[in-house]
This record gives sequence, C-alpha cells and structure tokens, in this order.
Amino acid sequence: MSELIVKPSKAWFKQSLRLLHHEFRRGELTIIFLAIVLAVGTVFSLTGFSEQIKQAIISNSANTIAADRVLGSSREIPTEYLDKSESLSLKVATKILLDSMVFSGDNMLLSELDIISEAYPLRGEFLVKMSLDQKVATSVGAPKQGTAYVEESILSRLDVKIGGTIEVGVLPLTIAGVIVEIPDRSYRMFVAGPSIFLNIKDIEKTELIKPGSRVYHQYLFAGERDDIEEFETWIKPQLNESQNWYSVKSAQNRLSKVLDSSEKFLSLASMLGIVLAAVAVAVASRRYGQRHQPMVAVFKALGASKSHVKKLYMLHWGLLSLISIIVGLVVGYLLMLAGVSAIESYLSLDESQITFKPVITAVITGLLCSVAFAVHPITELISTKPLDVIRGFKQNVLPSFGWHQLIPLFALFALLMLFSRDLIMSSSLLLGGIVVSGVLLLLGRLIMGAGRSAGAKAGKAWHLALANLKRRANENSVQLVSFTIAIQLLLLITVMKSSIVDEWQAQFPENTPNHYLLNIANEEVAPLQDFVNELGIDNQGFYPIFRGRLSAINGEKTVSFDDDDDVDKSDNEKDESIKGSSTENEAKQDDKEKPKERKGAGRELSLTWQAQLPMANEIIEGKWWEESDVSPQVSMESGVAERLEIKLGDELTFTLGTDEFTVPVTSLREVNWKSRQLNFIMIFNEAAVKGIDTTSISAWMVPEENKNQVYRFLSQYPTVSIMDFGSLMKQLTKMIEQVSIAIELILVLVVLAGSLVLVAQVQASMEERERELAILRTLGAKGSLLRNSVLFEFIALGAVAGLMASIAMEIAVFFLQTQVFDMSASFHFSYWLIGIFAGAGFVGLMGMLSCWRLLKLSSVTLIRRTM
Amino acid sequence: MKSNSEAILKVSALTKSVQLDEKTLELLQPVHLTVNTGETLAIVGSSGSGKTTLLSILAGLDLPTSGEVYLKNHPLHQFNEEQRSQVRANHVGFIFQQFLLISSLTALENVMLPAELANLPDAKEQGLALLASVGLAERAEHYPSQLSGGEQQRVAIARAFITKPDVLFADEPTGNLDTKTGIHIADLLFQLNEKHGTTLVLVTHDPKLAKRCQRQVEMDSGVLHEARLDNVNVEELSADMKVG
Ligand SMILES: Nc1ncnc2c1ncn2[C@@H]1O[C@H](COP(=O)(O)OP(=O)(O)O)[C@@H](O)[C@H]1O
Ligand SMILES: [Mg+2]
Repeated sequence: MSELIVKPSKAWFKQSLRLLHHEFRRGELTIIFLAIVLAVGTVFSLTGFSEQIKQAIISNSANTIAADRVLGSSREIPTEYLDKSESLSLKVATKILLDSMVFSGDNMLLSELDIISEAYPLRGEFLVKMSLDQKVATSVGAPKQGTAYVEESILSRLDVKIGGTIEVGVLPLTIAGVIVEIPDRSYRMFVAGPSIFLNIKDIEKTELIKPGSRVYHQYLFAGERDDIEEFETWIKPQLNESQNWYSVKSAQNRLSKVLDSSEKFLSLASMLGIVLAAVAVAVASRRYGQRHQPMVAVFKALGASKSHVKKLYMLHWGLLSLISIIVGLVVGYLLMLAGVSAIESYLSLDESQITFKPVITAVITGLLCSVAFAVHPITELISTKPLDVIRGFKQNVLPSFGWHQLIPLFALFALLMLFSRDLIMSSSLLLGGIVVSGVLLLLGRLIMGAGRSAGAKAGKAWHLALANLKRRANENSVQLVSFTIAIQLLLLITVMKSSIVDEWQAQFPENTPNHYLLNIANEEVAPLQDFVNELGIDNQGFYPIFRGRLSAINGEKTVSFDDDDDVDKSDNEKDESIKGSSTENEAKQDDKEKPKERKGAGRELSLTWQAQLPMANEIIEGKWWEESDVSPQVSMESGVAERLEIKLGDELTFTLGTDEFTVPVTSLREVNWKSRQLNFIMIFNEAAVKGIDTTSISAWMVPEENKNQVYRFLSQYPTVSIMDFGSLMKQLTKMIEQVSIAIELILVLVVLAGSLVLVAQVQASMEERERELAILRTLGAKGSLLRNSVLFEFIALGAVAGLMASIAMEIAVFFLQTQVFDMSASFHFSYWLIGIFAGAGFVGLMGMLSCWRLLKLSSVTLIRRTM
Repeated sequence: MKSNSEAILKVSALTKSVQLDEKTLELLQPVHLTVNTGETLAIVGSSGSGKTTLLSILAGLDLPTSGEVYLKNHPLHQFNEEQRSQVRANHVGFIFQQFLLISSLTALENVMLPAELANLPDAKEQGLALLASVGLAERAEHYPSQLSGGEQQRVAIARAFITKPDVLFADEPTGNLDTKTGIHIADLLFQLNEKHGTTLVLVTHDPKLAKRCQRQVEMDSGVLHEARLDNVNVEELSADMKVG
C-alpha cells in the first residue's frame, strides 16, 4: 500500500480569477453586480448627501444663534431680566422678527423683517456686500438708521437696486447692501419671504408694531462662560411657556434632529429598493448555484478538494462583491455630487468632505446583500457531491425549511437597524413588511387564480399565459409585490400632484375667502370696512385679535400641553423650564391642598371678542351673550373643550404677558373648520376684554377682476399685511412637489430593483421555458402562439400588479383625503386604468426584452436544445 | 500485503446496497475484479444492471457498502472524500457520457483544469498539444456552447489525458453521439490510450466498442462475470442500446 501524496493545488487563485473574468464577460454576473451596485450606490448617495447638508448647516456655520444664549419670546421680557444680565456684565443684543409687506413703486412683497440693535451679532459674522461686484463681503452690525440690508432676491422681486428705496411700513429705507451670510439664519419650513434687516431705532417710524401685532422677540446674550451659566441658572426657573431659552448646542441639536429624521425617513423608504436588490441577488445566486453544480462536481471528480473549491468560490464571490461595492460607491459618489450641485445655490457646501459614515453604511449594505442573500446557495454549491457527475444534478429543488432561510430575514433586520437605529421601528417595519407582502401575495394569488379560469375562455395564447402565470405564482410573487409597490407610488404621485389639491380647492363654496388681512390698526377698520362694503366684497367682518395663554382652569394651573401643535418649540430647554416652574408652584402651595395639574392648550392662542355669533359657528350648549351684557364671558369651541375637559360654567384664566383675567365659559360652539373662514377657539364678549390692546384681522373673497383695485387701495395702509390664499396654495403645491421628488427617487429605485428581480427570475426559469416551448412546438403550435403565450404572461403579471396598486393607491388616497386634507373621499377610477396599463406595458416590455433570446429561437434549435 | 505490481485496480467482495424506504436494494452482488496496468477493460450489460454504480466506486467517486477497492494500492474503501479526491487528482481520468465540460471555461482551460488541480507544470503547452492531437487546435479559445457534441467530447478526451492518468474511466463515452461521430471518438480514445499506455475501464452498450478492448466483463443485475463477446447475442445488446 503506497502513501497518499497530498499536494494541495494552488491553482484555485488563478482559476477563481479566470472564472470571474469569463462569468463577467458572458454576462452571468450582471444581475448580481447591478443589484449590489444599486444598493450600495443608493445608500451611499443618500447618506452622503444628507451628511453633506448636515455639515454645511451645522458644522460649517460655527455659530447658528449669533450669541451664547438666546431667549425667544412673543412679548418683551421683564426689565429685571436685562438688569440681571447687566449686573453680570453680559453683552445683550435684541432682534425683533416680524412679517410685513414691503413696497417699491407698484411692487410689493411679503418679507421677514429682522429688526436688530447695534450690538448684533454678539457671535459670528453678519456679512454684507455693499455693491454686487464687491468680492469679499464686509462684516457689519445693524444698518444705519434710514437704511436696510436685504437678501439678494428682493432686488429682482421688487425691481430695485442697491441705493434704491423700499418702503417698510410708512418708512422709506435706502438699500445699503445685500446680505451674504446671516449668523443666526433659521432653517424654517415656511418663511414669509426673503429677509430685510433694519435698525431697531427705525422701528417706531415704520408704525408697524401696534398693540396686538404678531412679533417675535429674541434677546441675545454673550459673555464669560461662568457669567452666562450663572445667568442661565437664575433665569431658567422664571421662564414661562411662551419663552424659549436656547444655546448653540440645543439649537443645533434640534436642527440635526430634524435633519436626522428626514435622513432616516429617506433611507427607510429606500429600504424598499434595497430589499428588492437583495432579493435579486438571492434569486440570481440561487440560479448561479444551480448552474455551477456541474462545474463543482466535475472539479471534484477531477480531484479538486473541498477546500480548493471553497477557496475558489470564496475568492470569486468576494471579488465580485468587492468590485460591485467599489463601483457602487463610485456611482453613489457621482449621484451625491449631482445632488449637491443641484442644491448648491441654497447652501454653501464649500469644504465638503466625505465622512466615514456613508462609506461604512454603504459597504455594510453591500456586504449584507452579497453575503447574507447568497450564503445558502453558495454553501450548497460548494458541498455538491462528485458523484453527481454521474447521477445528475438537482434542478430547481424547492429549498426545504431550515435555519438558513432566516439569514435573509436577519440581514433585513440588520439593514433596518443600520438605517433607523431604532429597535421598535425596525421590528415593526419588518413585521409590517411581512404582513403587507403577505396580503399582496394572497390578493395576487386570488386574482391570478381568477385569471386562470377566465383565461380558459380567452383564446389559446391567453390560456397558456395565464396557466403559466398561475403555475409560476411562487416565483412571480416577488415581482408582483415590487411592481405593485412601484405602480402604487407612481399613481400616488400622479394623484397627489394633479387631483388632490384641485379636489380640495373645489370643495370650498364660491364665496370662500381668498385673502387674509393681518395687522389692521383699530382706526383702519372703519375705512377698510367702508371699502369692502362699497365694492361688495364678501367678508365676515373684522376680528379684533390679541394673543394670550390659557393659564388656569378653575384655579388649577395648566402645565402639560399638547406638544404636537408646535413641534418647533418643544425642545429640552423648554421642558426644563416647565419642570422648574411647576416645582416652584408646589413649594408655594405646600400648606394648601395638593395642586392638581390640568391639561392646557400649551401655546399662545389667538383670541378675539365679538358681539354677534360668527357665521359657520353653532352654539351646542349654553347661550350666546346679549350685546348689553356687562359680565365678562367666553364662548369656547366644543372639540378643544372636550379635549381639555372644560365644561360649561368653568372659570378660565388667561395670561397676557403679565396681565391676567378670569372669565366663565357660558357657551360651547361647534365650528366648521373646513369653511376656511376665520375661526377661533375662544371668543370673549366685549366686557371681558376691556382695556386690552388689539389689532384686527379679516378674510375677504376678492374676485379676480377686483384684485388690482384692492391691492392699490391697500397700499395706502402699508402696515396691513395681505396673505393671498393663492400663494399659500402655491406653497402647498411646492411642498407636495418636493415630497414627490423624494417619492420619485424611491420609485425609480424600486422600478430598477424590481426589473432586476424580474430579469433574474426570467433567467432562472429560462431552461424550463425553453423546454415548454419545444414541447408545444413539437405538438404543432404556431410561432405566433408561442410568442404570444410568453408575452401575455408578463402582460398579465403587470396588469395584476397594476390592479393591486390601484387598490392600494385608493386606500392611501382615502387616508390622505380624510386624515390630512380633512375632505370627503373620492374614487379615482381613471387612474386605475393608468395603473393597469402602465403595469401591463412596462412588465410586458421587460419580459419581452429578457425573453428576447427565447422568442427569437427557431423551433429547430429549440427542439435540438431540449431533446 | 499481497501487492502485485501488475494489478492497478483490485476489487474483492465488493457490494453496494441502498436503503429505499423500508427495503434494501442490492445494486451490486459481491464483485471480484482485477485490472492490470495497461489493460483495457470493457464493462457491458443491460441498462440498470449496475455498470455505472460499479464504475463510480472503482473511480473513488462513491464508497462500497462492503468489500475492498485498491487503486494503485490506495485503499479507496477506507478513504474519506478528501483523500479520494487526491487519489483522483493524481491517478484518475474521466470521460462522461454528457461530456461535462465547464461552460464558463474555454476549451483550452477545460483541458488544463486537471493538470492545474494536480499541480503539474506546463499545463498550457500540454493542453494545446492535446487539443491539437484531437484536431481542435483552432478551437482552443472557444466555449463549450460554441462546439458540437462530438467536438465537446474530443475536448473531454484531451482533458482526460492531460494528467497522464494511471487509469482512465469512461462511462458510455459515445452514448450521446451519433454512430459516425461515436466511431470517430472511439478511434481517438483508443489511439491516445495506446500512445500513453493508459489503463482503460470503459462502460458501454456498444458491442463493437466493447470488442476493441482487450477484455470484456458483463454485468447482469449486479452480478459481474467474464463475458465472451462472440457468444453474446448482438441483437439483444443493440436492443438495449436504445434504452440507455
Ligand atoms: N442512489 C440510488 N438509489 C436508488 N437506486 C439507485 C441508486 N443508484 C442507482 N440506483 C439503481 O441501481 C440500478 C443500477 O444503476 P446503474 O448503475 O446506473 O445502471 P447502469 O449504469 O448499468 O445502467 C438502477 O436500477 C438504478 O435505478
Ligand atoms: Mg449507466
């Protein structure tokens, strides 16, 4: 017996490279390659893009509040705050924010006025160009009295030049320069318009601020660290809910939270596409495994050891993953650059660097796709028996259930965790995804089953196609789900863009107001009233308004609040200040009974008084007051009353700055919020509001032909602000458009990934399809019948997906209409046709392209190949 | 150990049975067989008689249920999968009925493959020479799908000889080819076999092909016995051919 010479072959390396080269050239790896590139590229571009934005907004601008701390308030703050800061030798600057109409000649524009004191900014630089061709911007403080700094867009929109004049309120101001950088720029969703900076000493002369005007004060503080901190500990317990204390960090935190959540939303939405890409990898690698079985068996029969085969395939797959991931990163980087250059005009992204986070996230995504979804077929492949060269290969065996089937689920979960970093969210998304897919699959089966029976009567080609569709239901299920989702997104965008807004607008009655007038001084009410009466403009009168907070109910302080009303203000700083004040209350009332906490409205409310019950209001409990009533009373909207557990007869205390007054609830009203009239939660009678300063607001229905006349007339009252509902609608449409872009991105991704799955699936079924066609051919089927039966199968699949997508779209639109737009639901049958035809057309085309080879084969080749 | 330098393949009391549900299926009754170095042996027998089963055990692709198999004095029946694959790499060549070329490799690369697995030098030169000797020098860079059945089997024959194997196993090498091509392939096979002095174990239906071997054995329902082909009913054999 001779010794066995063990000479492990080192040829695996060379063979692996050779295999990779050939397989790539023959296009056998294309699907897997494209799927990984798609996943990696998507993740990298998305995360990279949002990283860039975050850097630009947060890191690049070192100071986003122009101070060390800021106290924001809707009212002026008590002088002792300022005294205290002075005693600590802190620097203080003031900024008042106010939306107002600005005029130049015949042009007018709603803009944001930033009225600043000389000391502004305390930190950072306020950069202005004094002429448009000035190269380096100048760092400035407040503009000189009688001048203003404006954002560049104002020049074109008001058709003025630097040195020209604009009218702010009743005050003409000379434009002294164009703003380049604002140190405390806020990134608000809805800004009234471009900013104009003016000196606080000019504010009186504009006559814009009247009692009751809606303004926002910011007090900026800066100083030595210890002093600032001492001031902070002193002031925090005294702050109330309408005051907002923040530092650079808390401002940045809030901002980055907003950015993070939008990034999270986008990447989770893109998960749809990534999951499909992973499925394409799974399908393609299963076919890959089956296709390579003979090769592994021959290798082993010819004497290759298991470790040889293992190393060969590990290197092969590893290189494939590596190449795909690298190409994916490059593609993602290019996409990111394209995205960045598209928004460059909004944000200065000068020193953008690639951080590690997007790279790592993208690489992990790529590895999960290429490994987790392929590990089972590849390990199966490696363990192919050499005896199989003689006994034949298992083809298309359905995978038995085992732990390996959980790997993709784990991988999906890992991806979800990677994107959301939220266990509950990941679990529920995974479960939700499984449930939705399950429902879609079930529905799809039902429809395909019904189609099968219908097809029996619809001609031979359809009959064959539908029978095949049903038989391949398992394999088709992923495509079905993915195309359903894609078509649904498509329909949703179309419906949202073209129908919902129109339908929403159409449901309002003819005389619905289309202009809102704000900041009307009391002495201006009479001439404006005369004007609208003369012109016969529909209006619901003038409402005096003032702002105040519901601070107590029946003597019980309101502390907690519904923070969903005003997300922007609910940050940590504020929570702390509230906690501070409530402990103080407890201390004060220690010897009395335990203080009960009542739910309050939280934010400041717009309050009004009226003698008569306004239109679109209906008393459902209690009684509206007589005009002559001298006892103070309030009438409350019934829905809010229910929410705050307020009943008829309860005593409500309102705080207006430092003033307080208490009134009983004498009636509850039902309000038709859909009416787009001016509606109020609280309406007082005249007796309750004696001595309170107010400005008025009004809502007018201005017919198109009277618009110019109205605008010209109103320009006599420069301090009155007009909000055109049409331009509000434009803002809404713009927002929908932006959301649509995000959805369109996802749509493209899903379509691409879904197509990859389709092609992978078709390739996997190619041999089976060839065999079927050959059999049909030998039985004498005509060429056109064969072609049609192949084509119709895909058309039917697409149509089923389109049908299900239409149903899903209708459900989604139902929720949008009833929950978001607060309107009655309607059907959109014409879009069903779009869905079904788009699905049938696209999937039919994709199927035809991927079966091109099959359709072109002559019957002789078909038969020879399969016999 | 009674080692005989002449015997390259020695089989004694070899059986193979498989478990099918409750029943045990005896595929091979105790088989005794010795093949000498340089000998050419044909295994004939009707379809399903167990020829392929025996061949796969002889070549170390499968293990016997009981009994002993020595190939070049290696006790294959005691070897595990890895050891047997090493024996195959060093000593064995194959030709299959379905050719079994690797579709993603070119003709030349297919031929070179066993040489690479056995760590032999000059794989490429050897491969090109062998391709030339089967008349396919021009097709070296072609993929299997671009070759006809006969051409594919010629590549497979070149592949089988590249390692200069001690034993060459061929299972119905002409079974998938038309008669004319089959004869051509058989010519090539015997020509190369003679040139290299390789031991050949050939499984076939074809009595004409079997006759070209020095010795014939017949398999009959798992029982192996020496066959004298001139006594075998040729018509009976060719009737079997259509079944295989
Ligand atoms: N793993 C197995 N399980 C069950 N039956 C088998 C198995 N392997 C072979 N057989 C059966 O053993 C018999 C002999 O097969 P085989 O050796 O391929 O015959 P031959 O090559 O002579 O045509 C056949 O009836 C075959 O079906
Ligand atoms: Mg056989």
